[in-house]
Amino acid sequence: MSTTRHLLNRQRRLAARTAEPDTAENPPEESPPGPRPSARRTPHAPKQVDREDAEQRAQPDPARARRHRNRVLAALVLLTVLLGAFAGWAGARAGELRGTEAVRNSALTDTARTSEVKGKVTEAVNALFSYDHTAPQKNRDAAGHLLTGPAVAQHARLLDGLRKQGEKQKLVLTTTVTDAAVERISSADGRDRARVLVFADQRSTRTGAAGKANSTAAEDGSAYAGAMLAVEAIRTGASWRINRIDTFD
Amino acid sequence: MRERVRALVRPSKDPVLAAAVALLVAALCFAAWGGWSWHAAADDGARAYGESRDRALSAAEQGVQNLNTLDHRNVAHGLSTWQQSTTGELRKQLADGRGEFERQVKAAKTVTSAEVLSAALYELDERAGRAGAVVAVRTTVNAPKQKPTTKDTRMRCELSRTSGGWKLSALAQVPVGDSAGESGPGASRQDQGED
Repeated sequence: MSTTRHLLNRQRRLAARTAEPDTAENPPEESPPGPRPSARRTPHAPKQVDREDAEQRAQPDPARARRHRNRVLAALVLLTVLLGAFAGWAGARAGELRGTEAVRNSALTDTARTSEVKGKVTEAVNALFSYDHTAPQKNRDAAGHLLTGPAVAQHARLLDGLRKQGEKQKLVLTTTVTDAAVERISSADGRDRARVLVFADQRSTRTGAAGKANSTAAEDGSAYAGAMLAVEAIRTGASWRINRIDTFD
Repeated sequence: MRERVRALVRPSKDPVLAAAVALLVAALCFAAWGGWSWHAAADDGARAYGESRDRALSAAEQGVQNLNTLDHRNVAHGLSTWQQSTTGELRKQLADGRGEFERQVKAAKTVTSAEVLSAALYELDERAGRAGAVVAVRTTVNAPKQKPTTKDTRMRCELSRTSGGWKLSALAQVPVGDSAGESGPGASRQDQGED
């Protein structure tokens, strides 16, 4: 108990009462001096006694201080939870957007890669479906370094008849790609894969005995046909290999 | 009020409060990172281009299938679908020839259906709203008193983006050319010259 404070408070209240007669508080404050409960402040109390007043209120009321602190703590926790929830949701949403089909397929969006794939597949199809009876090994060599996976067997089956009869019929088959469009480029299992739709002109010339009987041959003894196929290619090291040939049978 | 503020800036007086403030700061950082990450993914130009590509390709496939589908019992509806799938010059051609074509189909009593085997865009100009695609399509024609005939056709089409989405602005069959043997690798004449 501090008498100085007690005296100061009494002085303050007397001063306030003379300055502003219409206060909300009732006269009980004017009762004889004694230990005071938390004093009520009038609106025009002088500022220099605020701090003493506050301290007087804080010290004898630790329960109220703890309640304030708990409220602040609760607010902090709530804010943390809300921000954390937002962070989680936003991160998940970003991941979703990055995983959409439109993003995973880089055909046309990655112009350099699209050109590369288109060029490599065009070269490969031209080589794989061209055959010259005077140099049959060229086609086999092409198959050896351009094919992988199921395409090896598919290619062998497609050219089977041609290889068997080619020597006898003196066959020359030339394939030239006219249109190649990349449908898809994506990464799976750490490797780049592409799917390309290819249209090609094929010209076959049979100069052997069987060839002359071909009534639909053009003037130069050649037959022309349009081919369509879809190939799937896979990147191995620095080069692309065809691992699937689809002739839509 | 002042003592509450003081408790916050002097957390050493209250370790639980200090921990709560630290967690809040961490959560704030995560929220900032999450928000930035989401914005970057949503604002991605490549994604928008990819979506445009997918929409154009889808329109190409649907358009080619539509224009190879016609049932003599429902010609009017079929031809309206054709017009809805097209724009520009192609649409005008279809509209102009519609009457005559309807008569022919009804007389022939054909039912034509189509299946797209494969399709891909070969070019896309997103800003100008133009695209080009190649489509491999298998059409089956059923005529009365005849066996159904199936034919595989190579088609090349152009698309334009309209207010109603991507539509076909040109459509043609890819002709068989004689490019094979002229400029292609391993041309037969050149090889025979080496004998």
